Amino acid sequence: MGQGLREKGLAYLIIGPFAIVLAFPFYVMVITAFKNQSEFYDPSVTPYWFGKDSPTLANASFLFHHTQYPTWLANTAIVGVCVVAITLVLALPAGYALARLAGRVGQSLGVGIFLTYLIPPTLLFIPFFAVIKQAHLTDSIWSLVLVYPSFTVPFSTWLLMGFFKTIPQELEDAARVDGASRIRTLTRVVFPISIPGILTVVIFSFSLVVNEFVYAFTFISPSDHKMVSTGVYTDLIRGDLPEWGAIMVAALIPSIPLALLYNTFLDRFIAGFTGGAFR
Amino acid sequence: MASSDDPSRREGRYDRRELIRRAGVGAAAVGVAGSGFGQAFYGPLRFKGRWLKGDLSLITWAHFVPSFDTWLDKTWAPQWGQQNDVQVKVDHINNTLLPARAQAEIAAKSGHDIFFDLAPRAQYEDDVINHNEIVQEVQRKVGKIGRIAHRATYNPKTKKYFAFSDNYVPDPVVWRHDIWNGVGASPNTWDSVRRAGPKLKAAGHPLGIGQSAELDSNMALSSFLMCFGAFVQNEKHQVTIKSKRTVEALKFMADIYQRGETDEIFGWDPAGNNNFLYSGKGSLIFNAISATRTPEDRNLPFANDLWIWPIPKGPHGRLGYQHVMGCWWIWKFAPNQAAAKKFLADLEIHYKDAFLASKFYNFPSFPGAYPFKQIRKAVAQDKHKPLGKYGVLTTIAQKYTTNPGHPGYANAAFGEMFAKSMIPQMFAQVSQKKMTAQEAVNAADRDIKQIYAKWRKLGKI
Amino acid sequence: MEALAPSRPRGRRWTNVFERPAVLASVLISPAVIFVTALVGGPLALAIWLSFTNATTGLHGKWVGLENFRHEWGNPAFQHAVWHTFLFTVISQAIVLVGAGLIAHAMMKNIRGKWILRFLILLPWAAPVALSLMAWKWMFDTSYSILNWTLVHAHIYKPLEVPQYLAQPKLAMGSVIAVHTWRILPFAVVIFLAGLASIPKEVDDAAAIDGATGFRKFWSVTLPLQLPIATVALLFGIVFTATDMAVVYILTQGGPPPSFSTEMVTTWAYKTGIESGSIGPGAAISLFLLPVLAVVSIAMLLFARRTEVS
Repeated sequence: MGQGLREKGLAYLIIGPFAIVLAFPFYVMVITAFKNQSEFYDPSVTPYWFGKDSPTLANASFLFHHTQYPTWLANTAIVGVCVVAITLVLALPAGYALARLAGRVGQSLGVGIFLTYLIPPTLLFIPFFAVIKQAHLTDSIWSLVLVYPSFTVPFSTWLLMGFFKTIPQELEDAARVDGASRIRTLTRVVFPISIPGILTVVIFSFSLVVNEFVYAFTFISPSDHKMVSTGVYTDLIRGDLPEWGAIMVAALIPSIPLALLYNTFLDRFIAGFTGGAFR
Repeated sequence: MASSDDPSRREGRYDRRELIRRAGVGAAAVGVAGSGFGQAFYGPLRFKGRWLKGDLSLITWAHFVPSFDTWLDKTWAPQWGQQNDVQVKVDHINNTLLPARAQAEIAAKSGHDIFFDLAPRAQYEDDVINHNEIVQEVQRKVGKIGRIAHRATYNPKTKKYFAFSDNYVPDPVVWRHDIWNGVGASPNTWDSVRRAGPKLKAAGHPLGIGQSAELDSNMALSSFLMCFGAFVQNEKHQVTIKSKRTVEALKFMADIYQRGETDEIFGWDPAGNNNFLYSGKGSLIFNAISATRTPEDRNLPFANDLWIWPIPKGPHGRLGYQHVMGCWWIWKFAPNQAAAKKFLADLEIHYKDAFLASKFYNFPSFPGAYPFKQIRKAVAQDKHKPLGKYGVLTTIAQKYTTNPGHPGYANAAFGEMFAKSMIPQMFAQVSQKKMTAQEAVNAADRDIKQIYAKWRKLGKI
Repeated sequence: MEALAPSRPRGRRWTNVFERPAVLASVLISPAVIFVTALVGGPLALAIWLSFTNATTGLHGKWVGLENFRHEWGNPAFQHAVWHTFLFTVISQAIVLVGAGLIAHAMMKNIRGKWILRFLILLPWAAPVALSLMAWKWMFDTSYSILNWTLVHAHIYKPLEVPQYLAQPKLAMGSVIAVHTWRILPFAVVIFLAGLASIPKEVDDAAAIDGATGFRKFWSVTLPLQLPIATVALLFGIVFTATDMAVVYILTQGGPPPSFSTEMVTTWAYKTGIESGSIGPGAAISLFLLPVLAVVSIAMLLFARRTEVS
């Protein structure tokens, strides 16, 4: 018992400080988001809390009434879901093959896929734009649906390979001894057990879509086709006058539900570990 | 904000364009789609500019004064489009990413008909039309192009206007009269700035002349050099940075920093000096009038104590760069060049509305488009205190503003030197005592000459 | 598939070809390979071609051979950028690896409030980086920094002598490292947690029966099982850090002059290629990283593949 208690105390000591540091900017975002503008330009008002004219919904109302923020959110969600789907369809089989089956050729192909992930996006968007134009996708969110998998697939493939390797060969062998075909083993035994890996890929791919902005900026210029980052960046950062309050609202709105969602996924992992939900 | 135009109208436009695309590109198809072509034969004579047709697309920055974008997107562009039977579509992206989009459009040979950026981009010369025709057209209507705009958009080597400038923005010094008064000084000359610096800093209100890798610092320091008679290039576009005057200017600015400023000037982005002023800490910055408009709009306690003056006088006189040089260009691959040319010409010819919509931010590049006399009258109407403070903008624009690259032209080499922030780097070397003034000048001279050699080899200067 | 049929010795049903590992493997891998190559192949070839030209804009330029590479190799600005990229990558990844390992293991303990703590830790990965960086910019602002407000009110610093997080060379590097670590640490935690969760209960039970507990169990059971995933996680971190310029470009644009202490290979390539109109040299700069990363990656990937569950 005493040892268990000590271990728990240690866990708090490790996680607590990390949680505070990682979440602190979000605390600042919340305060700034609901603060009266003249108050956050006034150094005599504490930055840790609201002044006498706050909290206010003025910044949030500006965001929703003077920009196309809801449209940007919707665009981002559509691109995110499509990219995640494409990524899983391509990376799941490839990752399994790399872990279990691939001979020399397959292995070099796998390394080849990964190497495309190394290409610095800094300048690649220029020739990419020419491709987008050939596909008649300029200024459309589908250009991003096409391009983003080019950097989510390589990494996801290798990540899934890592997960498949943690599953002992014996489990599969047992199924095969029972007479199951390889494909059946794959769908009935291997995929269910790799749900943590699959969810990790979902978290990874979706976040990259939400985060990316060089392609999003250069491929799409009409306001109603923009993604969250690029829309906010254009309409709320006017050179020397960022709309700090509205930007913070815009950052918080997608972050909180996404973090809740990711957290629920994590619950699934850990349930699988302690309770055996996947088996 | 710029973006929220009527969605139904947008819908209709896409439908039509889609229709045209599906029907093919032939003239017959355009007729079927029912655009201006058909009306030319059957419709009533409603439109003056009926020889134009089709779609026109523009991409521009999100203006620092948002009311300008509202005017451009909701008033000017739709009205002009209606009069000329052209569907005008205006897109905005953040100014820092305009160059990236431009490069992408060039590579794909596709994109917007008209592109805007806030500095001359001579490097795109091969990819744009010669804008001479537009300049001639506007000159016919309102008189000669201003010297600043001409020297910022014309390449004397290739005899070509690589852009069409509609506006430039004067760059005044913005200072806190109450604080300066407290130490009994004013920023009339660079010498008085240097002498007041330590006193202001001791009072808790340092100076704010940036030495960072960003636009505002670049502009302020390059202007400062000119007040000392030091220039990056001469009329023949030879590098002249290596001079005794540059050395003297560097030492002078290092002294201003060491006794009158703090380290923050090295880390600013374009909003840095604004925040420095708005926080009540700063006593002087270089910026366009958005720096006084914000305190007015937000009722900051010292808004009425913010004064606008021309750049302080140096041993060589008083001369500064503009803060923004508005440049539009039409790609060679733009599908609707005829409409694009007329759009730009009309925009400039009727610049009064643009000037007012920008709240005195955009000054017309062709002085005849909205003469200084009228500007002076319009500016005098401004109700903000101290009354008439914006009046000096016309003086600054008329007498103390010049083009980037002065006394030469704004060429591609100067542009690259500017984009790489070589001037702030040279100043910071001395201010932080990493190099002596002479060493810093030698180093800058070497780097800048390399850039000039490269562009000379490409035949552009 | 049809073509393979005659070569099989005995007549089986056609689905049986999937029982042959090599066939199944190529069927499973090809879609990903074809998609990625079709999409990236052309643009990459163009980028490589550009790096050998003197192109200023667009895709037209004159062949200059290795001139761009030679020039940048000897350019002090480029050399500094390489060194900064190295520091940035190594330091941030070291912190991420240790931090994520610690957090993930502590998270497997059954503690109260775990859910909310995990939520807080995940936030940085969920936020759109371009926007969350604005919050950091606000926190590092020279005039409104909440950090400096605290330091001044705690009488640790005088108002005009406060640290300037993005303006002092070493501090600027520290700041971008801290923010980048902040940004990718949550994802590393996710990978580690998923890795721990993937270890089948059977293995754990077996370890318990063998009497392995605490550190010994970690060393001989958990760690080897985690190695393939940890390797891939680290590889992701390295590549992502070396090739993504979001944090550096938005926070410091390369760092305070004259040292440009946070100029990375990526930002230098962007400034050269895009902002100052020298696409050819810019492409060359951004391609310098490719062989280095390729060597690192191939080594780590082969290592990850070879680590077999014993």
